[in-house]
Amino acid sequence: MNAEKANAISPVKEPGAQLGRKPADVMFAVIIALALATLDIYLSIIYYRNTGYDMRWLLATIDIMVVISVLAAAGKRVFHMLISMKLAVTMLFVVAIMSIIGTLLPQGADVQQSDLYNSSLYHFYNSLGLFDVYHSRWFLALLFTLIASLILCIGNRVPTTVKKTFRLRVDVKDAFVANQPQAQAFPGAGERGLEEARRVFRAHHYRLHTGSSGSVMGLRGRFAPLASIAFHSSFILIAAGALLSSQLGFSDDSVIVPNGQVVNVPNTQLQVMNYSFKIEYEGKGLLKNGSIVRVRELADGKTVQREDGGDMSQVTQVYDLAPSSFFSDIEVYKNNQPVKRQTIREGDPLEVDGATFYQKSYTYDPSSGQPISILEVNHKPFKTLIYIGGILLMLAIMVSLYLPQRRIWAKVGSDGQLLVGGRTSRSKLGFRREFERMTKELQLRLRQEARADG
Amino acid sequence: MVKLESIFAIVTLLTYLVSGGIYIWYLVTSNRRAARLASMLLVLGFFCHTMALGMRWIDSGHPPLSDSYESLSLFSWGLVLFYLISERKYPIQAAGAVVVPTAFIIQSIALVLNEGPEPLRPILNSGWLWIHVSIAMLSYGFFALAFGAGFFYLIQEYLLKKQYQHALAAFVIMFAAIGLAVGLWLGFIWAHPADAVNQQTGEHFNQYSSGDIYKILGLAGAGLVIALILGFAAGKGASRPGFVKRLPSLDVLDEVSYRGVALGFPLLTIGIVTGAIWADKAWGAWWSWDPKETWSLITWLFYGGYLHTRLTWGWRGRHSAMISIIGLVVVLFTYIGVNYLLAGYHSYAKV
Repeated sequence: MNAEKANAISPVKEPGAQLGRKPADVMFAVIIALALATLDIYLSIIYYRNTGYDMRWLLATIDIMVVISVLAAAGKRVFHMLISMKLAVTMLFVVAIMSIIGTLLPQGADVQQSDLYNSSLYHFYNSLGLFDVYHSRWFLALLFTLIASLILCIGNRVPTTVKKTFRLRVDVKDAFVANQPQAQAFPGAGERGLEEARRVFRAHHYRLHTGSSGSVMGLRGRFAPLASIAFHSSFILIAAGALLSSQLGFSDDSVIVPNGQVVNVPNTQLQVMNYSFKIEYEGKGLLKNGSIVRVRELADGKTVQREDGGDMSQVTQVYDLAPSSFFSDIEVYKNNQPVKRQTIREGDPLEVDGATFYQKSYTYDPSSGQPISILEVNHKPFKTLIYIGGILLMLAIMVSLYLPQRRIWAKVGSDGQLLVGGRTSRSKLGFRREFERMTKELQLRLRQEARADG
Repeated sequence: MVKLESIFAIVTLLTYLVSGGIYIWYLVTSNRRAARLASMLLVLGFFCHTMALGMRWIDSGHPPLSDSYESLSLFSWGLVLFYLISERKYPIQAAGAVVVPTAFIIQSIALVLNEGPEPLRPILNSGWLWIHVSIAMLSYGFFALAFGAGFFYLIQEYLLKKQYQHALAAFVIMFAAIGLAVGLWLGFIWAHPADAVNQQTGEHFNQYSSGDIYKILGLAGAGLVIALILGFAAGKGASRPGFVKRLPSLDVLDEVSYRGVALGFPLLTIGIVTGAIWADKAWGAWWSWDPKETWSLITWLFYGGYLHTRLTWGWRGRHSAMISIIGLVVVLFTYIGVNYLLAGYHSYAKV
């Protein structure tokens, strides 16, 4: 920790330069690394002996800390690595590539139906967590590294961005304007030129700010940099919401509820009883005159209706029937006392005691062939955080990329010439063209004025 | 209604074919009258296309976005609309030689896939879902634009450096890749694998027989050969000194490519978030790592990477162009490849 702080306060400019660190600091880092590694191994042993508590996320976090402390002990400037965007951007690509693995191999319960289940590779793949990639220790470690580096990068940028957004740089020096990526000087234009520049900027939808020294700043997309911060922060909100929900709530995505049986909901004091499970079908009907209509078979399994409300006796054949919706008539019990009864379907869940019962899908009973309902039951206490994060994500990225920031300054220099210069961080060519248009307009206005005077 | 719809769809296809041919003729001869005729035909075709899609909407009772035919047909409709508007504003008739044949190919693939209007499960007929699908499709369109500009950036750079062999190779490789992809895709459609359902999880997956594999490989090979010939012809035509003037400058191509990503990325973000909200409302799980979800996340991370390499590392030009080209491969896999090659919840809606 000491070593990291020292790095943060006095960064060394040249990359790869050796730090003049005291042997005591190195010793400290080595001891921390050893302690963390021991803790990591100890917890791993407990975890793989099956304690019943899923602590892969904890193990992943400690894994990262071990790597960080080992790197620190080896003399790497870890803090710099973490706040440099290089790591964050590299991790973006790494997580993207590693995510592919999980789409190529069957995940979760699916593996039991695949050929891999009986193959010799099964145990090897399984030990690497390849059948549950997105919850595996190594994937979580990569994800957490990305998030940690994201948090540090944002934290690093927040003060400057806030300062730049709310304390505008209106009063500037001549050289500052002249050295902008886009800059032009108008000799002899003077204060009159400055007035014209204000008009031109305003015509191009820039908001004007005037400094005490007489310099003018035109600003567009003032909040784009702040929106960029908000966009990246919302990613953290979502991750926090998901982690907190998974740790403090519960989720079971395959509660199988056969008709007429009371089933315990795992992790709760709740029981659920399914009175009946019904499927409604939709398909096509062939009419006597040869045309085709859409038909619906109701959940009773007998009645077939035409969607257009027409006469069923005209239909000679019904085909292509596919399940269109399914319903479970369920009752929820708490400590064996009935609490609430409701027919649920996809998009229409039942809520009891913070737990929500969703109609998920169905399977078939292997012996009788009867359909059996499958429910998802969960309690996600921090769902609101995820929703806020998601909505912020959408709004912020639109502001950040659709309303990019453009800044432009005009100032009368010491020798009476008008200096104009500006910059953007986004579409440089678009800005260059706009700047060229503005300076051309300014030139034209100045010439007209000179003619009117002369 | 269904018959009238297919008449309109076929007239659309024919007018796009003829119009596209005349646009190519215009590119070769610079005959203004040809461009005007092609444009008029295209407007006629666009009208028929609109009628066909409108009838499909009325007939099925939901917006035309629920299966491959509908989404592809709507995609080519959007492409033609976008082009027609641009043509009225800017003198870009030469682009018609690329855009209209592309619209024709997409529309013909759509027609091959057409299985008539299908009823939609009530859960899929929801406002969130229509926003989710249409916005995701729009973002794919912008990424395709970024790809096109990126590809021509590479070509223009080779031409300016007088590396004509490289330009020719780029054309051949690009055509070969597109031909192989289209061939594979048509192969998968032709093979029409049995739709099997996993009894334990209720998930759908495709089952291929050995006959299916031959069909797929056969069409992929045919697509590759045709594309190699076309790519060689196009490359030979373009790999000459005079072609430099026909292409926009490197700066402009680089900028257009960036703008495509900058416009598409927020849309993809909205597409993913609305999809997650909808899934949460329907099944109580906002993210379930299903292949389509995961691949859209991969696409999102990839273009996020593009933006960072550009805006914070300062990459420009060739490197950015390369990333935007690879980006479209990821997009196409997310949009089409996942449906045929990987299993998951999204397989009920092949869009």
